[in-house]
Amino acid sequence: MHLPDIVYLSPNKTTEALEVIEDCGNSCSVIAGGTDLMVALKQRLQTPKYLIGLENIPEFKKIEEKDESIRLGPMNTLDEISSSDLIKTKLPALSQAAREVGSPLLRSQATIGGNVCLNTRCRFYNQSQFWRSTREKCYKAGGSYCHVTKQKEKCNAAFVADLVPVLIAYGANIKLAGLAGEKMLSLKEFYTGDSCFPNQILNGDRVILTEIDIPIPKNNIRSVYKKFRFRRSIDFPLVGVAVSLDLDENNRCRDINILLTGVGSAPVEIKKAKKELLGQRWDDELVSSVASLASQEIRPLKTNLVSPRYTREIASLKIKEALQEAGGKNGKNY
Amino acid sequence: MERTIEFVLNGETKKVTVNDNQTLLEVLREKLDLTGTKKGCNQGECGACTVLLDGKPINSCLTLAVRIEGRSIMTIEGVAGKESLDPVQETFNEKGAIQCGFCTPGMVLTTKALLAENSNPTSAEIKEAISGNICRCSGYIKIIEAIQSLAEEQEVM
Amino acid sequence: MAAYKYIGKDIPRVDGPVKATGKAVYTVDVKLPGMLYGKFLRSPHPHARILKIDTAKAEKFPGVHDVLTGQDLHDVRYAFVDTPRYPADEQPLAVDKVRYIGDEVAVVVADSEAIAEKALMLIEVEYEILPAVFTAEKAMEPDAPVIHDEQVKGKSFWEDWGVAQGKKGRATKYDDTPKVNNLSGRTFVSFGDVEQGFLKSDYIREDSFSLKATAHCQMEPHAAVASYDHVTQKLNVWLSTMGVFLKRYFLSKTLNIPPSKIRVHHTYVGGAFGGKIDLFPYEFCAAYLSIKLGRPVKIELDREEVFMTTRQRHPLTVNIKSGVKKNGKILAQDIKVIADNGGYRGSGPVVIFLCHGFSFPIYDVPNYRYEGFSIYTNNSIRGPQRGHGAPQIRFSIDSHIDLIARDLGLDPVQMMLKNVRHEGDVLPNGDRLDSCGLTEGLHGAANAIGWNTKRNQSKNGSKNERLKRGVGISLCAMFSGAMYYPFASAAIVKLHDDGSATLFTGAQDIGQGSYTTLSQVLAEELGVDLQDIHVVAGDTELCPIDLGSFLSATALVTGNAVKLAAADAKRQLLECALEILEVDSIEKLDTESKKIFLKKDPQKSITFSQAIQASVFKRNGDPIVGKGSYKGYPRTDRYPSLAKAKGLFTGAYGFAAQAAEVEIDTLTGEVRLVKAVTYHDCGYPLNKNIVEGQLHGCVSMGAGQTLSEEVFLENGQMFNPSFLSYRLPLSLDTPESVEGLVNTIEPSGPFGAKEVGEGAVAGILGAIANAVHDAIGVRIKELPITPEKILRALGKI
Repeated sequence: MHLPDIVYLSPNKTTEALEVIEDCGNSCSVIAGGTDLMVALKQRLQTPKYLIGLENIPEFKKIEEKDESIRLGPMNTLDEISSSDLIKTKLPALSQAAREVGSPLLRSQATIGGNVCLNTRCRFYNQSQFWRSTREKCYKAGGSYCHVTKQKEKCNAAFVADLVPVLIAYGANIKLAGLAGEKMLSLKEFYTGDSCFPNQILNGDRVILTEIDIPIPKNNIRSVYKKFRFRRSIDFPLVGVAVSLDLDENNRCRDINILLTGVGSAPVEIKKAKKELLGQRWDDELVSSVASLASQEIRPLKTNLVSPRYTREIASLKIKEALQEAGGKNGKNY
Repeated sequence: MERTIEFVLNGETKKVTVNDNQTLLEVLREKLDLTGTKKGCNQGECGACTVLLDGKPINSCLTLAVRIEGRSIMTIEGVAGKESLDPVQETFNEKGAIQCGFCTPGMVLTTKALLAENSNPTSAEIKEAISGNICRCSGYIKIIEAIQSLAEEQEVM
Repeated sequence: MAAYKYIGKDIPRVDGPVKATGKAVYTVDVKLPGMLYGKFLRSPHPHARILKIDTAKAEKFPGVHDVLTGQDLHDVRYAFVDTPRYPADEQPLAVDKVRYIGDEVAVVVADSEAIAEKALMLIEVEYEILPAVFTAEKAMEPDAPVIHDEQVKGKSFWEDWGVAQGKKGRATKYDDTPKVNNLSGRTFVSFGDVEQGFLKSDYIREDSFSLKATAHCQMEPHAAVASYDHVTQKLNVWLSTMGVFLKRYFLSKTLNIPPSKIRVHHTYVGGAFGGKIDLFPYEFCAAYLSIKLGRPVKIELDREEVFMTTRQRHPLTVNIKSGVKKNGKILAQDIKVIADNGGYRGSGPVVIFLCHGFSFPIYDVPNYRYEGFSIYTNNSIRGPQRGHGAPQIRFSIDSHIDLIARDLGLDPVQMMLKNVRHEGDVLPNGDRLDSCGLTEGLHGAANAIGWNTKRNQSKNGSKNERLKRGVGISLCAMFSGAMYYPFASAAIVKLHDDGSATLFTGAQDIGQGSYTTLSQVLAEELGVDLQDIHVVAGDTELCPIDLGSFLSATALVTGNAVKLAAADAKRQLLECALEILEVDSIEKLDTESKKIFLKKDPQKSITFSQAIQASVFKRNGDPIVGKGSYKGYPRTDRYPSLAKAKGLFTGAYGFAAQAAEVEIDTLTGEVRLVKAVTYHDCGYPLNKNIVEGQLHGCVSMGAGQTLSEEVFLENGQMFNPSFLSYRLPLSLDTPESVEGLVNTIEPSGPFGAKEVGEGAVAGILGAIANAVHDAIGVRIKELPITPEKILRALGKI
């Protein structure tokens, strides 16, 4: 499988990149590390005329601390993210999540920007052109059928980015730059919930992700990422759980965010369980019951590997482990 | 689109004309006849095409050749000296870490990058470092042992 | 034990440096001036009739040189099995029907692969979609769609070669073939009286097991380069293969040109594991197109094509009923096997034969009946894969034995010991076990895994509630060569003026280390040092015939040929030395390090060089060339009957006892192989390092098939044709590994050696399944043992 014919452009400035995007219209794709896009191109999941590489824009490589937050350029590789001392100290869950993506070879090319913008995946979609020719076009490929649910309702490709739940749990904001100017939004808002066009960029907005801002958590806030995959390299997560927890001096839950990846069309925020936890005294019983409750909030789909029941069971387990670990040092019960 | 790129290949500056849609793997194998870098899956899942990009191991099948302008690439052809093998190659051979040999170039390069960064890796770190390089012949055991013994040698030195 | 200088030593591979430096040339690396590239158009349908193919647009596409369809090649037929009973059923390009997703429909040859890929899109095919069937059980039903409407009988390859097949057999029970649809092969064999055996038994148990299709995952994709020279009328080919002579034979028959006009050149092979034996359409088409166009043609498959359109291991169901005495002695066994061989016969009739072949050498069962069916379905084609039937049948039998032992309150190891065969036993087909280390292996493996202390840990109350550990054990057997084309291996040893030697062998190093072990055999026998040996191998023009690197034949069969060739060269050298050293018999002389010396007075010596000079000058000008040959199985002149399992199978069985310790996460259902123990009876190991390497590879592959590997098929379509989704083991899955040697000497083997490359892939499956049962008290009878199956069995989901 060869790459389609393309023209490669590598602008030196954000504005230049935006102008190119404007000129090319829908016939261009932006490439960051390329670990996902290169395969998609070979499989003809995308056939842009132009590829716009961002490696020559210097500020896209920054890792800096400013105004109580960490600011990351989108072109930092996952390897750079996981080995940065600043991130290890201030955002350990992000460092850990970056360390668990794909394989070491992939991490030395894949970027945080690419992970934030990662397309959703499906076993009927992420296949070669020949493979897909054996059946009706699905939603994501431009058709109007979902082979997963065998229904015409909607696309069900899964959101599987590892870093995103952690970033959202940390309360990250992102900067999107367009020709009209820059806007800052919370990362949560970037995702559409539509598996076909899972984020604003893939949904057609002519913007570039230029920065990821993560407020440095206060001392008492603890964040963790728990990932589950059968092989501990190469594979995407079956489910990933990010938790950030703020316990007060009385061991009560002042604030908590629980986010999952791998089990929906977008990062899934666990809301009902959060309500159950807020203001509650942190103990093992509470954690167990909430974990089980939380896993009822997701609707995993059958894959070749697992049934929804199995995924829910694992989600429940990983949520519990994440909660236990997050509550660990502060929580008096642990 | 065709263009000429310049980069450092195995220590020497190289100019080569490439097409925008060629991968680094294709350029190495087809344009430069450096066939030591292997194509195992062409999708970044097996590591047979591993090369070092500025010292970091990457899948050359996922890398557009045009993007290596100005950067430094090491392939398996650049590892050994003229007269002798590199210690990693020597040890892989002595310890029985080579069977069919198709994953070997990638494994050797990944190992070189690992040892450059961490001269005394633990068994767990070794397994992690080579976890993107698939070997079907060896069950990885002798590869891990070979890398371990290299780590020990370095420690002694 | 004899003191050897090279045999049994951990000598590094002779092809190590060339591989470590990336200089080894594999078929995918071959590039010739003016080379063209081919790509296939494949069927998107599992079963359809081809109504029309329009290639006009593709032919006109700039850079395209030719487009072939089945109409161009309609009378070409070939197959892995090609006998009067089982005529060849494959064609390089589909003529009337396509029978699985990926079946070759057309091939485009162009200036580059990229151009060929684009041109494929311009071919228009009109299909009439036919009903399809995807499981062997359904395909056997009376109203199932018929996949092969007719079997076209021609003169079979095997007949053509003229090897005796034996007289027309007496009417046996075989003739009661049940009427089933889509039958591609049947093996039936029985001995003793099974019904009587059951009547005499104290306890009878019946179990069913099933295993999914798995993939070989050779790291080098399948590829072929062909270059036809119209002046010399010679076809030169480079193939990623396990047997150059078998491939030459296939090409000669299908292209209708004499074998001598085809040269298969040597290339290194990036893994094979059984999946590079069959003739493939890409090989035939590359050769055909090169002849037609007068240009070199290369066809290399994508990874997806390798997964979907080369070969997979047969998915199998096994039903076993055994009758035993209270003490665990097996009296009777009735085994039924059904294999799904996909859209073409592939090795279907062979795998069902081999399931018997790897069942009966282990336990001495006096009353035994075996029936195997291979069945056509509209799935990918199945062929040989490391062990070829052994993993499936050994998993099933030893899971079943473990269950019986539990039922009777016996220790499974003790029960196995009570039933295993021993050295000196003669098998019901007449094969002799001149070496058999099953008993010693069982003791060794049980000991190394800590059988007595680690068994029943969960019952005895383990401390860890979440993680449970258990141990299990299983046995396996494998042939060391058999009578299969070209039925023998030969070797030539050529001596140089300086006394060093070149070995010419048709055997191919597919990663198993044969160039090294064969060099050791030569060095030891001839009396030269290893660095004085150069190997020329895997080339049909330069090398004498060889069975090929499959059926685990290389160590024993080719090894013997090399040993005989070395002995022949040595004898000639010694004869030359008689005069110079003034002795009357070569018995009084010996060799070492390129020197010939008097046994009584080693100081008195001449160099090989001097002897060779003497031969050239003073005798007949002979520079000394030694030759040797060895049959696939010297005791017979025919291949065994696949259908009746009659005839002799192999000259020596390799055996292994394998034990596993697993740890199960009872909350996630994940099973981790903590420790794998293999006590392999490979006779006398030629090179321990290489033997260990083979065992490690076997264990890893077997463990993968037990715990994670599975070709996901839905309606004939493979959902995981990539290393991302086909979950073969990664470095992180590596267990602690213990290899013990069972020291037997195989009298027919070179220096006592026999099989080591395949058998040990088979015992680890049952060992793990039995260990899982030991750990958590549940039995998984359907592989792979996925986390979900564990949680379901534990009642947690």
